[in-house]
Amino acid sequence: MRIVIVGDGKIGHTLAETLSGEGHDVVIIDKSGEALGKSVDTLDVLCIKGSGANIPTLIEADARHADIIIATTASDETNMVCCLIAKHLGAQYAIARIRDPEYNNSLSLIKKELSIDLAVNPERTTAMEISRLLRYPFASKVEIFARGRVEMVEFRAQAGDKVVGVPLSKLSASLPGLPQVLYCAIERFGEAIIPDGTTVIEPGDRVHVAADIPTITGFFRHLGKHDLRVQSVMVLGGGRISFYLTRLLASLGMRVSIVEIDRRKAELLAEQLPEADVICGDGTDQELLVSEGIADMDAFIALTDRDEENLLTGIYAQRMGVKKVVVKINRGNYADIVASMGIDSVVTPRQITCDTLLRYVRARSNSRGTVIERMYRILDGHAEALEFIAQPDDPYIRVPLRDLAVARETLVAVIVRDGRIIVPFGDDYVQGGDFVIIITKRQGITDLKDVLKVHGGKA
Amino acid sequence: MNIRLVGNLLGKLLLLEAALMAPSFIVSLACAGTDRMAFFVTIALLGCVGGVLNLTARPGVHDLRAREAFIVVSAGWILLSAFGALPFCISGAIPDYVDAFFETVSGFTTTGASILPQVETLPRGVIFWRSFTHWIGGMGVLVLTLAITPKVTGRTSHLMRAESPGPELSRLVPRMGETAKILYLIYVALTLANIVALLLAGLPAYDACIHAFGTAGTGGFSSRNLSVGAYESAAVDGITTVFMLMFGLNFAFYFHVLTAGIRKAARNEEVIAYLCIVGVAILAVTLNILPLFDGKFFQSLRYASFQVASVVSTTGYFTTDFNAWPQLSRAILVGLMLMGSCAGSTAGGVKTIRVLLLCKNVRRQVKNTFMPRRVSLVKLDGKTVEEGTLSQVGLFFFAYIGLLLVATVFVSADGFSLTTNFTAVLSAISNVGPCFGDEIGVLGNYGVYGAPSKLMLSFCMLAGRLEIFPMLVLLSPSAWGLHRAGKARVKART
Repeated sequence: MRIVIVGDGKIGHTLAETLSGEGHDVVIIDKSGEALGKSVDTLDVLCIKGSGANIPTLIEADARHADIIIATTASDETNMVCCLIAKHLGAQYAIARIRDPEYNNSLSLIKKELSIDLAVNPERTTAMEISRLLRYPFASKVEIFARGRVEMVEFRAQAGDKVVGVPLSKLSASLPGLPQVLYCAIERFGEAIIPDGTTVIEPGDRVHVAADIPTITGFFRHLGKHDLRVQSVMVLGGGRISFYLTRLLASLGMRVSIVEIDRRKAELLAEQLPEADVICGDGTDQELLVSEGIADMDAFIALTDRDEENLLTGIYAQRMGVKKVVVKINRGNYADIVASMGIDSVVTPRQITCDTLLRYVRARSNSRGTVIERMYRILDGHAEALEFIAQPDDPYIRVPLRDLAVARETLVAVIVRDGRIIVPFGDDYVQGGDFVIIITKRQGITDLKDVLKVHGGKA
Repeated sequence: MNIRLVGNLLGKLLLLEAALMAPSFIVSLACAGTDRMAFFVTIALLGCVGGVLNLTARPGVHDLRAREAFIVVSAGWILLSAFGALPFCISGAIPDYVDAFFETVSGFTTTGASILPQVETLPRGVIFWRSFTHWIGGMGVLVLTLAITPKVTGRTSHLMRAESPGPELSRLVPRMGETAKILYLIYVALTLANIVALLLAGLPAYDACIHAFGTAGTGGFSSRNLSVGAYESAAVDGITTVFMLMFGLNFAFYFHVLTAGIRKAARNEEVIAYLCIVGVAILAVTLNILPLFDGKFFQSLRYASFQVASVVSTTGYFTTDFNAWPQLSRAILVGLMLMGSCAGSTAGGVKTIRVLLLCKNVRRQVKNTFMPRRVSLVKLDGKTVEEGTLSQVGLFFFAYIGLLLVATVFVSADGFSLTTNFTAVLSAISNVGPCFGDEIGVLGNYGVYGAPSKLMLSFCMLAGRLEIFPMLVLLSPSAWGLHRAGKARVKART
């Protein structure tokens, strides 16, 4: 597909890298030659200097024949105008990053009138992810599948956990009463492992398990991890994520304190969020944190613009006895290092946004076959969890899995049929309309047919 | 440095050269020439060395950084020439290896400077290979590699940038591999058109191919001692003139003609400047040499336009001894030698676009002298040119002139006249071929120089073709990671 990306920032660059790697023809437009210079050097894409809201520039980028235009400049308004113009020129789909909370209420109107197909709000999406983490404090990551029926939860195995040291196939025998979950993927020393029956979980592994919500809860209760309910939260930094997050948490009945250094911002927040306590002060000041009662908090979330401050205060909070610490890291690829410092939950808004956009692009690049419902990049992008809806006339339908050739480094994790969750074995099969969740280390899968192949059929 | 990756890529390059030598081998078989064995041995050797390099040097990391890319390009071109010289040596056409190396470098860099006094008596396969190197070198070997490699990653843009002439790499379509393919398609199509035109003008197929290769690569090797002048045909002269000028145009121009129509494509400032300069030069030379042709305007125009086209496109074909022309015409031709044609073409020289940018920059500087606070930008095709690009162009020009002077001094040790030495070096750097002066001249040859001078001229040709910096990179210790190793040693000692 031809994809035009406007704005060569962090998100634009990461997207261009992934999309061109998946075989799409990518054109990047940016006003700054400096930003483009890096992309020209490292990516196989066409770079055009200019404004994405300028018609000649868009024509030069051949937006007329583009399948998707993605506007991710720093300005919401530019993004909207880009989409509007590109759509009029003939682009098929338009995606805009719109992040200002002011636009949030009129988003559906804006989307309709400016013919924007997808509006991405990184801050809101990040806030939603954090709120899920707080609902399951034992998890370092939570992803939802099958319209919320299945959850995939990442947790860090510790020495002494019951699941550690036993081959997965012997777990149910050695631990009677342990709810059956599917072990989807394990990350060990930065390497992704798709487990089979012989795999043994070791201390320090980041384990992804999937099941429906009660089972997951039961599983962690059995492991003795589900003893915490978050009721009070301290948020560091009063940015947009904090705004959305406070709204979400307050609606769940949690008590939120926001620490913001800038008085004007703090006042504005206090006005917009009467349900939260807004504290004006320097969040990196340990005395302030202590006097505001950090020791009594159930969760601490560091959301300032500086990765270093987030990290340091996060570690401090953990030392003060806060059970759940979430840290925002803007720079990618540091999650591993951060995890080694003892902080499990790291959110990276850039990656969350990229995932959302990639999911959309993948779904459009496969117009006929099975449509990707959800896609998460897990284990720092080493693997992907994909959800498809099986199409009734596909060749693999009703063929037992043992008779199918499943693609290499790929696991059919869960099949969801009429709300029932099936952890598939060799005798199970896929029916039309099933949600099928797969975990794969391969990149760029867009169709369930690429994963489940009938023996003797076409490769 | 990632030695393994470099080794692997160089191995691939040698295998490609073996494949590219096949047509010449076939020609020598068809003519039952004495050079059959020479090609057979060389191809076998290339296959062995290339295969071994390709198989043994398995890179763990495929990350091609700028450093490796530049080394692959410069070392690759030297290796190609080193192996490409073998058929000349083995067949006995050019017994001396340094001479053969010079001849091959001259071929690949599309210079066309020769050490051979006689070409008509040599085996046909060897002569075919000599001209075919022009065609390969014209568009570039690594561009060809990109065009035929199925999967191209982003970082290979360094390869193409190092090999394609011009201040900035222009991509026609998002994918590098596709861009390379389009360029080669245009190249092949134009070459075929040239062959057909020459056939229609009455040339034998073999001569048509040789001269089309020489024209397409803007090289200038001929199968005749008197070059294109040997045919004494106005039609052949005319066809070659037009095609030489066409191969001097930016290939992106043809792409834009095909996609956007000629009107939009012709709005390119470089193309306009190039054609204007060529037009003025032809007119001036025609009027200047009118007395030599007894005042016959069209005859004079025929020879003037051919020679201007040949020199500006840095081809180096000739139809007459232009060394004997009046001083004004000679000076104009020397100026055109320095400028060369458009960026993104197969020609050499400083390139019209750089000259254009330098002139615009000078004009701005003059204006700013009167109004020091005036904010002014240099624009090309309606777009602002970045200051970084402008300073790079200035630096490139300095490096070009610097190398020209240093090499002239070096070559002067052989004792020839300053005209000969200066124009020979200029001709080598700009990849033209013939030069002025009495010792070598248009018809003469470079065999009179000693071996050190020949190697220096070979270096100049490569530097000119790869646009100076890749060759200078090769000379810098940091490219090989040596200075870092040195530092580490110092650290270990302390």
